[in-house]
Amino acid sequence: MDKDTVTFSVLLSVIDFFLSMVMISGIGLILSLLPRLNRLGKLDEKSMRRGH
Amino acid sequence: MFDQLMSFVAAMGAQTGLAQIWWGNVVMIAIGIAMILLAVIKKYEPLLLVGIGFSCIISNVPGSDLVLPGGLFHYAYEGVQLLILPPLIFFGVGAMTDFGPMIANPKLVILGAAAHLGIFVALIGAKLVGFTIYEAGAIGIIGGADGPMAIFMTMKLAPHLLPQISVAAYSYMALMPLIQPPVMKLLTTKRERMIRMKQMRVVTRVERIAFPIIIGIVVNLLLPPVAPLITMLMLGNLFKEVLVTERLAKTAANEVMNVVIVMLTIAIGSTMSADRFLTGSTLEVILLGLVAFIFGTGSGVLGAKMMNLFLKEKINPLLGSAGIASVPIAARVAHMVALQDDRENFLIYQAMGPNLAGVFGTALSGGIMLALLQ
Repeated sequence: MDKDTVTFSVLLSVIDFFLSMVMISGIGLILSLLPRLNRLGKLDEKSMRRGH
Repeated sequence: MFDQLMSFVAAMGAQTGLAQIWWGNVVMIAIGIAMILLAVIKKYEPLLLVGIGFSCIISNVPGSDLVLPGGLFHYAYEGVQLLILPPLIFFGVGAMTDFGPMIANPKLVILGAAAHLGIFVALIGAKLVGFTIYEAGAIGIIGGADGPMAIFMTMKLAPHLLPQISVAAYSYMALMPLIQPPVMKLLTTKRERMIRMKQMRVVTRVERIAFPIIIGIVVNLLLPPVAPLITMLMLGNLFKEVLVTERLAKTAANEVMNVVIVMLTIAIGSTMSADRFLTGSTLEVILLGLVAFIFGTGSGVLGAKMMNLFLKEKINPLLGSAGIASVPIAARVAHMVALQDDRENFLIYQAMGPNLAGVFGTALSGGIMLALLQ
């Protein structure tokens, strides 16, 4: 398909917008799972701040 | 002998810039001076405009060796051309960014993509007025309101449009407090603007450290074209969040950032020669950039209103406009507009969530565009 056309630009836009919504929803899903990592334990921030 | 002397002087004069200067150079020098004055007097993005303005002036003085191969300005441009400087900007940004608001409220992340409809409106508009699909893609990304991303995409798709796109992108980011509020008020009712958001949960250190590592892996797996930018953003953020590398985080946020800003602004200004900038396409790019911002603001607000159709706890639709990636300006604008209707409705922290998500939204839109076009 010839990319340098208005039709392709519309198609590109629709696909890009849809896929970016899907992917960012996936990032949102990953973020919603992050609190489960807290079960691994807590970090001592005071000792971490004493680092370099 | 007098004739010989005069011909010698004439030959010397012909080698200076004075013999090559034309009205376009004078106009661009005036624009460069105007940029510096705006920065100094109006405090209008001084970190960017002083460097861009000065190098714009110098690049329009014919005969300046600085912009020629071998000159410092030329090597600054090489840093942009080789895509070294934009990822380093993101490195510094990551080291000074708190992604807590984004992590705390994952459902607002989708607004970071909803607010990018403006990219595609501008892309289609650019194609309609006659730009190539690659130029249109670079122009469209102005709507993402992310300077380094705009530069990155422009260098990949249409490097000859760097001066127009970078000036448009950074100018509109600074003008967001003027551009966004009318669109936000047009698309919302006073009652909607007065919706108060719940206080966000505390994000733990474990989550803050896991976030950049996981996102770094995901972006490199799924979107290699834009991985350099997001990877460096995450590296800077990791230095900040692990706490044991405080000096590296401070260096990234200060010294590295300052040096890169100097080189980036020199590079952008050095491309603003009269023959490249004073063209009809400059005006078209600037107008299309404005269209992108307006539609992006609108689509973000409408995206938030659509979410409210499915949510029990409604979100303030002003947060949708913060999905444009200009951090933290778009979040501040949402906060200020909310305060106009309710002086105790403080949206800034919640607005930072979609605002930060907008950085990822722009990267995703750009990465998919590169994958489809290249």
